[in-house]
Amino acid sequence: MKDFESNLSNQHESFLSFENKSQYLNIFRKKSFDNFRKQGLPSLLDEDWRFTDLSNFYRNEYKHLDSSDIEFDKNIVPKHIKSLDAHFIYVQDGKLIESPESELFEINDLSVFLEELSEDKLDFFLNSHSEKNVDFTYELNSAFIKDGIHLEIKKNTILDKPIILINFYSSDLSHISTRNIIEVGALSEGQIIEYSFSKPDINFFLNKATSFYLSDSSNIEHLSVDESSKNSYIFSNIKINQNKNSNFTTDSILIGGRIYRNNVHPALKGEGANSNILGLYMSTNNQHMDNYMFVEHEQPNCGSRQLYKGLLKDESKGVFHGRILVHNAAQKTDAKQTNRNLLLSDKAQVDTKPQLEIYADDVKCTHGATTGQLDPEALYYLRARGIEFEKAKLIMIRSFTEELLEFIKSDFILNLHKKTVENWFIESNLAEME
Amino acid sequence: MLEIKNLHANIEDKKILKGLNLSIGKGEVHSIMGPNGSGKSTLASILAGKEDYEITDGDILFNGESILEMSPEERAQEGIFLAFQYPIEIPGVSNSYFLREALNSIRKSKGEDPLKPVEFIKLAKEKIKHLKMDESLLNRSLNEGFSGGEKKRNEILQMSILNPCMSILDETDSGLDIDALQIVANGVNAHKDANRSFLVITHYQRLLNYIVPDFVHVLVGGVIVKSGDKSLALELESKGYSWLEN
Repeated sequence: MKDFESNLSNQHESFLSFENKSQYLNIFRKKSFDNFRKQGLPSLLDEDWRFTDLSNFYRNEYKHLDSSDIEFDKNIVPKHIKSLDAHFIYVQDGKLIESPESELFEINDLSVFLEELSEDKLDFFLNSHSEKNVDFTYELNSAFIKDGIHLEIKKNTILDKPIILINFYSSDLSHISTRNIIEVGALSEGQIIEYSFSKPDINFFLNKATSFYLSDSSNIEHLSVDESSKNSYIFSNIKINQNKNSNFTTDSILIGGRIYRNNVHPALKGEGANSNILGLYMSTNNQHMDNYMFVEHEQPNCGSRQLYKGLLKDESKGVFHGRILVHNAAQKTDAKQTNRNLLLSDKAQVDTKPQLEIYADDVKCTHGATTGQLDPEALYYLRARGIEFEKAKLIMIRSFTEELLEFIKSDFILNLHKKTVENWFIESNLAEME
Repeated sequence: MLEIKNLHANIEDKKILKGLNLSIGKGEVHSIMGPNGSGKSTLASILAGKEDYEITDGDILFNGESILEMSPEERAQEGIFLAFQYPIEIPGVSNSYFLREALNSIRKSKGEDPLKPVEFIKLAKEKIKHLKMDESLLNRSLNEGFSGGEKKRNEILQMSILNPCMSILDETDSGLDIDALQIVANGVNAHKDANRSFLVITHYQRLLNYIVPDFVHVLVGGVIVKSGDKSLALELESKGYSWLEN
C-alpha cells in the first residue's frame, strides 16, 4: 500500500512537470492530490470500502500513460457496436482519436477545452460538484485531469442520432485516468452511450469519470457498458448535475474488471428534476463488483428511481451501497431504491446496504433489497412443460434482467442493452449461440 | 399406456405411497378420489418427475418403458402432462413466449422444426378461441396476478397446445366456480380421443359430471382401496370416505 502510494506520487510529479500551460489547472491538480494523500488509500476498515478488498490491486506497479501518436484500428470494435447508426467518438487510452462534426453538438479534447476556459468556468466544471462523496478515486481523477473529452449538446437540440463514445484500452500495467465532461443545453434531448473495452487479459488501472451538466428541461438517456479485461481494476465515477425539470436515465452494465467500483452520483439541483439510475452487474469467477450509489436531492419536487440488479456466477462477489441524501429544502422528494440479486452458485455472495439520510419532513423514500437463487418450483414448472433444464434456467435469468428494460424509453438503448446481456449469457455459458 | 406397479414413495423418510397399482389404457379416463393426505397429489408430482420424492420400490411404465430415471422435461416430451393444482407465477416471462418455448422443446425432441412466432400465435389463438378464453391471456406474464380460475384455464390451454397423450389433472376443479368448471371440462372433453388418456384427481364428484370417467379409484393411506365405474363416485359423494378407511 505504501509503495503504491509513493508510486502514485512519482507519477503525479512527473505528470505535472509536463503540464504547465494552465496555472489554475496545476493548482487544482496539486490540491486534489493533496486531498487524496490526506484521505489515503482505503482499507477494509474504511466504512465505504469495507466489502471491497483492494490489497491485490495495491501490489501492482502501474505506469501513468502519456501516450501519443496512436492509430486506432476500428476493426477491433465489436460488430454489434460498429454496425449501429450513430455518431462515433473514438478514444484510445484516454486520447481523443476521432470525433464527428455536427451542427447539433461540439466535441473537443478535454485538455484543449479546459485550457481555453475562464477561471469562473473552470470553477463551475471542476468545483461545483457536491463536496460529499468525493472518494479517493475521484480525487485521483482530478489530480490527473487531462485526458478525455468535452461534449456539448447545444440548446433546443434533438440529436438526430445517438452519440457513442468508444473507449479502448491497450496497454498492460498502465494507469489511465480520463474525465469526460458532457454539457446538455436547455430543452435538448438525446442518447449518449459510453462503450469501453480493452485488449484481452491485460491488467491495467482505469480511473474514469463522466460528469453531466444538464440544463433546464433537458432529457438524456445514458448507457455505460464496460467490457474491459477481467484482470483490470476499474474505478468509475458518474456524476450528474441536474437543473430544473431535467430528466436523466443512466443505465450501467458492468461486465469487465477483476474489481469494478462503480460510483454513481446524481445531484438533483433544480426543482422538478427526475433521475432513473439503473444498473446490471454480471460477474463470473473471482470478479468483484462494487456499486456505490449516492443520490442527492437538493431541491423540492424531484424524483429518483434506483434499480440495480446483480447476476452473480461462480465465486464472484457483489456489493450494493445505496445512499440517498435528502437536503432540508428538498420537500416532496419521491425517492425509491431497489436492489435485487440472483446468485447462480452457492459460492457467489452479495453485500447490500441502504443508507437513507433525510433532512426534509415531507418526503417519500423507500428502499428494498432481495438476494436469492433461482426458484426451484418455477424451474420445475417450466421443465414439466418440456423445457430443458438449462433453457429453463436461462428463461428465468433473462426475465430477472428484463425488469430494467421497463425504465428505458429509447429503442436504441433498449436493443443495445439486450444485445449486451445476451452476449454475456453466451460468453458465460448460460446460453448457446443461435 | 401408463402402468404403475407396486409404487412405494417417501418424502423425507415419511411413507406416502405404499404399494400403489394402477393401469391406464389408451383413450381411457380414470379418476382418483380420496381424502386429504391420502397421497393423490404426491402421485401426480411423481408422475411428472418432481425430484423431492424417493421411490423405494415399484415402477412406472409409460408405453412399456420405465420413466423413473427420466427428467421432468423428458417425460413432458414423451407426452405426459400435469395440470398443476397450484400453477406457479413467473413474473417477467410472457405466457406466449413460455408456451412457444415449451412447444418447440417438445417438437425438437421429436425431430420436428420449431414453430415461428407467427405460426405459434396463429395456433395459440385458434386454441384460445376454441376454449372460449380471452386472447389477452397470451400477453400476460405467466400466471402472474391470475385469479385461481384463470390459472386453471391457463393449464388447460397449455394442455391443448402441447397436445400430450397422457394428461394428469391435479384437483383442477378446486377453487373454480361453475362457469369456469365448464370451460375447463369442455377443454378436456375437446382434447379427448381414442389415443389420449386422462387421470383426473379430485376431491369432489362434481367435476365428474362434466368429465365422465371410465374408472374411479379410491386412494386411502397410499394405496388404492377400491375401484369401480362412475357410480362409485356418486356413492363416495353420499357416504364419504370413512367406510373405506382401515
